[in-house]
Amino acid sequence: MATAHDIEDLIARVALGDRAAFSKLYDNTSAKLFGVVLRVLNDRASAEDAVQDAYMKIWRHAGRYSANGMSPMTWMITIARNTAIDRLRQTRATVDLDHVAEHLTAPGPNPEQSAVAAGEARRIAACLDELEQDRGAAVRGAYLEGQSYADLAARFNVPLNTMRTWLRRSLQSLQECMAR
Amino acid sequence: MSDVTPDTPREDDSLLAAEYVLRLLDPAEEARVAARLAREPALAAAVAAWTARLSGLDAEVVEATPRAAVKVDLERRLFGLPQRAPFWQRAGLWQAVSLASLAVAGFLAVQSLQLSEGPARAPLFVSEIAAEDQSLRLLAVYDSAAAELRVTRTAGDAAEGRVLQLWAIAGDAPPVSLGVLPSDATTAVILPDALRAGVADLVLAVSDEPPGGSPTGLPTGAVLAVGQVNAL
Repeated sequence: MATAHDIEDLIARVALGDRAAFSKLYDNTSAKLFGVVLRVLNDRASAEDAVQDAYMKIWRHAGRYSANGMSPMTWMITIARNTAIDRLRQTRATVDLDHVAEHLTAPGPNPEQSAVAAGEARRIAACLDELEQDRGAAVRGAYLEGQSYADLAARFNVPLNTMRTWLRRSLQSLQECMAR
Repeated sequence: MSDVTPDTPREDDSLLAAEYVLRLLDPAEEARVAARLAREPALAAAVAAWTARLSGLDAEVVEATPRAAVKVDLERRLFGLPQRAPFWQRAGLWQAVSLASLAVAGFLAVQSLQLSEGPARAPLFVSEIAAEDQSLRLLAVYDSAAAELRVTRTAGDAAEGRVLQLWAIAGDAPPVSLGVLPSDATTAVILPDALRAGVADLVLAVSDEPPGGSPTGLPTGAVLAVGQVNAL
């Protein structure tokens, strides 16, 4: 299993157009990224297309990823997740979410902030468990399955605005819990 | 910053950042946040912080290995052809060479040799180097007496600001450059010594390269056309 440092190194080489490094990067990360897009799309054929699109973006944007405190896996997973969600919501084709990947690498957090955030990340599961069950499930639904407010409202059988309020409160509690 | 929510702009922006990361905003809101990110480092930091926070959930994703064909297809989409040797053979392009085109090739070969050097007794070899969609096609004729490979471009050209480079591949060995093709339709190159004996098993290929040819000694751009050498 490649370490974060190995992955970072591969991304740096991919940024220089190194195809062998790209091949290795794919071998080391595709199971995770495919898992991410499959969870969102729930269909193997679409997931295969989405994971290819994600790696094409990674190839194109590798030069903009530099060790900025953001974990390289988080960067790649963010690209994969957004690519899958774009595919899920084909109607949003006009929004080019490539910029999400760019902004993550632009003015990112300083190392101290990202260390704090990484520490928080480990606590998210515990903090979600502190929420009421449905609310934790709604946050997971949004993150892991790419569900929209409308999807979540239908799933939990509540009005759209109620879901919006629920989720915003949950996120606020989550932030407080994780900062504790 | 303080025009909309003067009391608690930071908390509001943090929630907005969370909704942005979770893709909960509608497309118009999403575009507005994206536009603000470029000029508001605080908002960008909030987005990065939420990305990191939520990334803890990535551990809950069950890994799944995509089929091997997904990678092959990806590399073809990015680079033109799968990267691993013997990718020339795997491409299967040369299998598309029809008997008819070989017959034409043979006719042209004899013609061109008669024009240049009179009757030729040494074995002749021919190869049609063609793109799958026929957008680029070259005919190569090898005269073993002169060790000369005469290449005629019959369709297609280099892209604007790029050149076409000719390669010879023997088996699983790395491609050997036969040089950059000039803009003229016809050119002749002398086949390197090491390749002459095995000419009947050579594969010829043309790749898209920067001016002056590949800087690495191996194809760096897309492989545009491939052809198997055949005895005539």
